Amino acid sequence: MRVEYINPFVEAAFNIIKEVLQTEVNRDELYLKKSTQPVLGVAAIVGLAGDVEGRVLIDMSQETAIKVASTMNGEELTEMDELVKATITELANMVTAQAVTKLHDLGFKFDLTPPAIITGENMQVSDINVEALIVPLGLPHGKVEINVAIRERLGA
Amino acid sequence: MSIQGLTNLSTEEQKELELAKIDFKMVTFTLAGKDYGIDIMKVKEIHKAQKFTFVPNSAPFVKGVYNMRGDIISVIDLRVFFNLPVEENEKGFENMIILRLEDNTIGILVDSIEKVIGIDSSRKQPPHPLFGDINIKYIDGVVENDTSLYIILDAEKIFSNESQTDSKEEIKVAAQTAAYQEMATAAAPEPDKHVNQGFVEETLSTYLGFYPSPLNRDWISKRLDSWIKQRGENNFQLNNKEDAQEFLKGFYSNCSGQMWSDELLNAVRPLLPRLGSTSLVWNPGCGRGYETYSVTALLKNTYPETVLKVQGNDNDLISISSAPGLLMDPARISPFYKEYLVGSGGGSQFNEIIKDSIIFEYSDLGNNASLPPVDMIVCRDTLSYLPESTQMSVLDFMYENLKPGGILMLGDNESPINISGWQVVENNGQRLYKKS
Repeated sequence: MRVEYINPFVEAAFNIIKEVLQTEVNRDELYLKKSTQPVLGVAAIVGLAGDVEGRVLIDMSQETAIKVASTMNGEELTEMDELVKATITELANMVTAQAVTKLHDLGFKFDLTPPAIITGENMQVSDINVEALIVPLGLPHGKVEINVAIRERLGA
Repeated sequence: MSIQGLTNLSTEEQKELELAKIDFKMVTFTLAGKDYGIDIMKVKEIHKAQKFTFVPNSAPFVKGVYNMRGDIISVIDLRVFFNLPVEENEKGFENMIILRLEDNTIGILVDSIEKVIGIDSSRKQPPHPLFGDINIKYIDGVVENDTSLYIILDAEKIFSNESQTDSKEEIKVAAQTAAYQEMATAAAPEPDKHVNQGFVEETLSTYLGFYPSPLNRDWISKRLDSWIKQRGENNFQLNNKEDAQEFLKGFYSNCSGQMWSDELLNAVRPLLPRLGSTSLVWNPGCGRGYETYSVTALLKNTYPETVLKVQGNDNDLISISSAPGLLMDPARISPFYKEYLVGSGGGSQFNEIIKDSIIFEYSDLGNNASLPPVDMIVCRDTLSYLPESTQMSVLDFMYENLKPGGILMLGDNESPINISGWQVVENNGQRLYKKS
């Protein structure tokens, strides 16, 4: 993944999550993962198109998702209902949008697709021939991973 | 349109048709100077190997068993199996083809492994009964390619159980001779060095993540000789990281981790591929980017009109992050770069012409990301730090993704593993590899 893209995503994820959850966020080492990766349980996905192609995935376990949604809504939620899903979707939207805004300022142009949320157990995500950058964030609510797989349209 | 134009077109079309009809690929190798082929679908991989573990009371053609990254496979010497003379290999490394058969995996030793050839299977002819060396029932067919005649062996038939029980008497006799041979080789001084080299190689991968393989083994073997002379017979083991680093000194290529010198630029320039109107160059393992900037400046200087994209990759986040804004001290690098530099606070940087041609990416070579066809690959001293199986797959990947006539540049002490069909081009001591 192009180095110029890394920081905007890391910063956006860090800032947004810190702000909406009003909590300390621990950043772990960034790393790269092969194309097929396990997904923790709840994955909100936003597609990117334009100068680059790819997607951003915000990934966490169900418990973490419920806790995060509880904090964001200011009420105690106990199960994976529509409200939790809508909240996590919104979180994904905010993180990606801020990253893309930062990238626009640097001169890279691309568009977003509306976020989708996928839940289930033992899921995997495959992006053929694209490496994914993982930004692991440690919250009191649990582990959240921002998983960014984008590539230049070199052939085009 | 002239008639000549028409005929030209049709021969070209014919060629294309012929190319399109390739439906059988084989790995070719030699045994006692003759060419043989084996169906590529049966071949798992190619391996240089030594240190086979002798299995007592086995057939003479059974070289022993071999530990291939944790899998124990049996190894058969095809030359003994077919009663052909065995060429003694001075370096002790045998060329092994690993076959994946219906019910087991087996290694076969051959004289040398040539390349992969694709043919139209309808051109395969039935075996002639006069092939003296090899029993006709093991031959799948014969095919002519580029004036060489290849005998295609039927891997399944050779190693099916039935054939091995065929000649128990012979086996007994020959097993004894094999045992003698084994003793004879054990007495020779050569294996000592193999054992030593094996230890040293192991420590290199443990301490530094440097993986010895056919890619760099020639250098290691030479280096070990001088190392033993320097340290003495009893003190040559690499006991810690510092020893290992000391050992590897001299492995790194000319101008590694700095801008290329005039000498290197001039050596490489005549070997550059001919670039078209748009070209892509790939520089995996670019570190902080010195190599990428050097190559880009050289190519821009040689082909100013080409729309050039150079992709520099590294899996070290800190190095690669600093690459786009790398500062130069004009006084310390060749004046060649001067026209591409612009001043900025505290040093010089490369100008837009160069920077716009380069994309730095955080990427890991082992992850097989995709790549459009490239004109040139510069990958110096990088592959040696990947496990052997990854080295193989990355080299294959490079070969596949290079345009015909494209150039591969490896480290000064690295060479591609011989099967791949590279053509060596050389100038002033600098070796590059051309995809033929």
